[in-house]
Order: sequence, then structure tokens, then C-alpha cells
Amino acid sequence: MNIQDNYLKNKKNIFFSENKDIQTYREKLINIFENDRFDKKNNESLKNINIKNFTDFKYKYLISEETSVINNNQENSYSIVSVNGQCSSFKDDKIEITKILDEDYNDFSKNDTIENNDHFVNLNSLFLNSGFKIVIKKNHNIKIKISNIITDDDLTIFQKNNYICEEGSSLNLIEEYENKNNSTSNLLNVIKLEKNSQLNHFLIQDNSPNHNLIITTHSSCKKDSTYTQKVYNFSEGYVRNFHYSELIETNSEADLQGIFFLKDNNTSNNKTFIKHLAEDCKSNQVYKGILNDRSKATYFSNTYVDQVAQKTEGYQLSKGILLSDNASYFSKPELKIYADDVKCSHGSTIGPIDENAIFYLRSRGMSKIAATKILISSFINEELSSIDDEQMSEMIQKKLVRYLSKVK
Amino acid sequence: MFLEIKDLSVKIENKNILKSLNLNINKGEVHAIMGPNGSGKSTLANVLAGKEDYEILNGRINFKDNDLFDLNIEERAQEGMFLAFQYPVEIPGVNITPFLHSAINSKRKRMNIEEIDNLSFAKLLKSKASDLGINIDMLKRSVNTGFSGGEKKRYEILQMSILNPDLAILDETDSGLDIDALKIVTDGVNKLKTKDNSFLIITHYQKLLDYIKPDYVHVMVNGSIVRSGGSEIAAEIDKDGFQKFQ
Repeated sequence: MNIQDNYLKNKKNIFFSENKDIQTYREKLINIFENDRFDKKNNESLKNINIKNFTDFKYKYLISEETSVINNNQENSYSIVSVNGQCSSFKDDKIEITKILDEDYNDFSKNDTIENNDHFVNLNSLFLNSGFKIVIKKNHNIKIKISNIITDDDLTIFQKNNYICEEGSSLNLIEEYENKNNSTSNLLNVIKLEKNSQLNHFLIQDNSPNHNLIITTHSSCKKDSTYTQKVYNFSEGYVRNFHYSELIETNSEADLQGIFFLKDNNTSNNKTFIKHLAEDCKSNQVYKGILNDRSKATYFSNTYVDQVAQKTEGYQLSKGILLSDNASYFSKPELKIYADDVKCSHGSTIGPIDENAIFYLRSRGMSKIAATKILISSFINEELSSIDDEQMSEMIQKKLVRYLSKVK
Repeated sequence: MFLEIKDLSVKIENKNILKSLNLNINKGEVHAIMGPNGSGKSTLANVLAGKEDYEILNGRINFKDNDLFDLNIEERAQEGMFLAFQYPVEIPGVNITPFLHSAINSKRKRMNIEEIDNLSFAKLLKSKASDLGINIDMLKRSVNTGFSGGEKKRYEILQMSILNPDLAILDETDSGLDIDALKIVTDGVNKLKTKDNSFLIITHYQKLLDYIKPDYVHVMVNGSIVRSGGSEIAAEIDKDGFQKFQ
């Protein structure tokens, strides 16, 4: 079924389908799908995947009533169970959780940072069926853990979450994606950081082989705010982590980190697009991958420095270890600099595990497999040892041990 | 015989490096191999340790009644062979202490000796490090990462003293060391020497042999040992160079 028929058939289950402005916008998106020949060569969202698997799909969505928000005031922490992309409403003096509204949708659709050839974002905008909005109130410092549960096989979740960190607020956000069913989750996070706010965003991804997870994040940072994203991808199914970031006011910062552990025939696509639009802003990216068997990964990174963005610091680094001759990791970091007083760098190192290091460790009595595992652990040691949250650190270590147990 | 190398020929990337090399080492002996650059000294060290880049064309090596070629790299180490590297590899993120702890226990496991626990190992490591003038803080760092040339060599000797090998091969351990560091390193080696272990010392210079007295000195040229004798050979080389052996 083509996109238009699919949309029309399921319109009643899709958010904001009665809103005329949104309808007009969606008609434009449908046209893009009908006219685009899916040029893989110049479109990062299409690398290593068959787009037809995602555009020619059977729409299925179920509303669940089992969502929950539990808060522990003493620790300023909240646990959210989001089911099929939905979340209960909640309000106290620190946070407010609501459904997303037409105005949030419209606000985002006018943003031009995400190119209109990002087909997954377009699919999300077209078939939106879930999502929520969380506002962190001014000057509050809180922690939220979200368990993202998908209840059934063959569901197609198109979810949009809005996060707004008000002035002076700080949020530690931990999101877990651990689904064992054959569904597709297409999530768009839209994050706004007001002046002097901070968001530390952790995403732990560990889905089964037939579960597709597409996460796109758009963050915008105002003066003195910092957005940090750390993604730990242990999924056995397809994962796409794209990040679009705008540093719109001075002294704001985006710090992005992604670590992925791939095996079998799995694929992970990563992309970042950071716009430096004001002075004294900083961006830092570190993406590391360990790839076994026939797995594939891509990392496309574009840091744009506007001519007004003097004193910018922009760093990009990607590293990969290929544990098999059949694994591949394509990395393309790019800088576009239009200001003259900047510090920017990019680097990429991908290759097999260091044979000299293996020889050194084995010459001290360590087996080849133990040496390989210790070198893999050391490759990501810096990133893993920087995790402050003890519970999360333990969880990630366990997943790492599980991954390493399959390395032969 | 403790180590017996018989008629060993080895090549790498179509280049013959070792050519019908013979060498016998008995328990408790210290042997030195001297030779010009490119004579194959480090190749011999690497082949003994089991590096897999080389193709063995001919010959055999027996070590403690084992056919060495039947043992892989780690089995050789567990059997008591130790190579102190000419260029120790930097391994960021691998902490020295757990790495060495794991190494010593892998050897103990093969020898059917009870594994050493964390506390006893920490004590052992601290005492050996102190003997070698190694700062305890260094043991919190990653293997060889950010070490100076001298620190790397000292750390090799620390590993050697922890693992207490039956045969230690020192591949140009003196290179890059100042005189004070050389003394610390050689003192460390001399402390380890017993009637039950043996040393194979590879060097360009006589200086190292002033501190570690060899029982035998061999001159290696173009992949073969061309002369063997006592310390007088080292003095001869120091005076006249390797030219006359080529």
C-alpha cells in the first residue's frame, strides 16, 4: 500500500488529522514520498536499509491504559512507564506531563534544521499516533527514568516527545528501550533548553532482532544551557540514532556520545547535525562502535559554524573496532565553518583489533579470547567509567558482558 | 636441555630472517646475543614468544621438554617463558593491576597452583614495585600508557618479577635507558636470577653486560650465530664493532 492510501485508511487513529494546517503540511510530506526516488547515495537516512520495508508497512496501533508515573519527592526522581508511546498526565510543582498538542506539532514542523529528505522524520510527522510533553519547572533539579514498553507484535509506533527545561532547571533523563517483539518504534524527541538549564539524556537500547528502533532528536539550546546525550546501543534489531542540534544562544553546549555493540547482520545508522548559531558555544561528539560478524554501521556528522559563531569549539571523533572481516563501519565527519575564530577538529579511526596489543597480553599468559575482550572493554572504558549513576553503570556492564560472551 | 633451538630458519613476507640457527641454554645460565641492526635478534625473541607473523621454514625448538611449536603464545608464557619487549605496547584503558593479577593466575592455573587472591596480590605487587623504585601511583595507570621510555622498561621488569619466569628474554631492554634507569633495571634482573631460571639477553652494547654478567655471549649476524664464547667477545665487539664478524 502506498503512503497516501495508508495514511487515508488510518487517518482516524492519527493525531491531529482534523487540523487543517497539519493536513496541508502532511499533504506536502506525502508528495515528497511520491516524488522521491530514494536516492541512497546522497541521503544518510537510507544507508544500509531497504526504505520500502519502512514505507510499505501495515499500520497497527493499540492504546494502552497501563501507563504510569511514580514520583519520589525525597529524591526528586520520577519513574515513568510509557506504553506504546503514551504516558499518563501528571503535575506537581517540579514537572508537568501532558499530551502533545497541535501547537507543539506546528511549532516543530516549521523548523528547518531537519532536512525534508529525512524520510523517517517525515513518516513520524505523517503517522503520529503517540507521544507526550514534559516540562521541567524553573530552577528545579530532577531525575526521570522512562521505560518504553511496546505491548504487541507488529505495532507501528510513531511517537513525538517534547521536553522543555525551563530556566535554571536540570534534568537527568534515563530512557530504556528493551523490547522483545516484532514492532517498529519511530520516535522524535524535541528538546528545548531555556537559559542556564541542563539536560543529561541517557538512552539504553537493547531490543530483540526483529524490533526496529528509529530515534531522532532535535535539541535547541539557549544561553548557558547544556544538552548531553549518551546512547548505549546493545540492540540486536535495527537502530537509527540521528541527532539535530542547534546552539542558538551564547555559551551553550551540545555534548553527544554514542556507543554501539553490533553483531550478526545488524545495522546501526548514526547521524549528527550540529548548528553553531551564536558565539562561545561548544559541541563535542564521540561515537564508538564495536562490530562483529556481518554487522554494519554508519556515522555521518556535520558541524556547521555560522559566521556569527566566533569562539566556537567543535570536536568530532569516531572510532570503530571491526571484529570480523565482514563487518563494516562507514564514518564521514564534516565541518562547515564560516567564522574565522574557531577551534574545530574531526577524526576517525576504524580497524581491526590491535594485533600487537593482543600479542603483548597473550605473552603474559592471557588467552586470545580474554585478551580480545579486555581490549574491547578498554576501548570504551573512558565512556563507561564516566557514568555516575551506579545502577545504570551496572546495567550497562551486564549488557557488555553479554555482548562479550558472544565474541569468539 | 632447558631450551634447545635446532637448525631454525624463519621468514617473514618472503624475506629469510633466521637461517639454520642453533642455540642451547641450560637451566641457571645467562646468555647474551649481540649483533648489528637487522641481524634477526628481535625476530628470534618474537619467534620464541610465539608471534604469529613469522613462517617457520625449518628446525625445531624444545623448551622444558615441550615442542615449543605445539604451544600457543599464552601457553608458552604459562609454561614460564617471558619476553621483555623492546617496544612495550601502550594499552589505554587496561589497568596494570588487574591485568597482572589475571596474568599471574593464568600461569598458576596451568601449574595447578591455587590462584592468588586480591589482597595477597596487591601486597606482592607493592613490594616488587618498591624494589624496582616504581611509584605506587603508576600501578593505577593503564598498561604502558603515557609512560616514559625508562618507565616502560622498568614496568617490563616489574611484570617479569611478578610472573617469575623460567626463561626470560630481554629484547634490547637497555635501549632508551639512562644510566640510573639501567642500573635499576639490571638490579631487578640480578635479584631474580637463581640456579633454576635462565636469561637470554639481546643487546647491541656491552654496557648492559657490565651489570648482568652473562655465562655465554653469542654473535648473531645475518640470521645465524657466527661465534659463541664468554664475556671476552662482548669486550671485543665494544672495541672493534661487528664488522669483523660479517
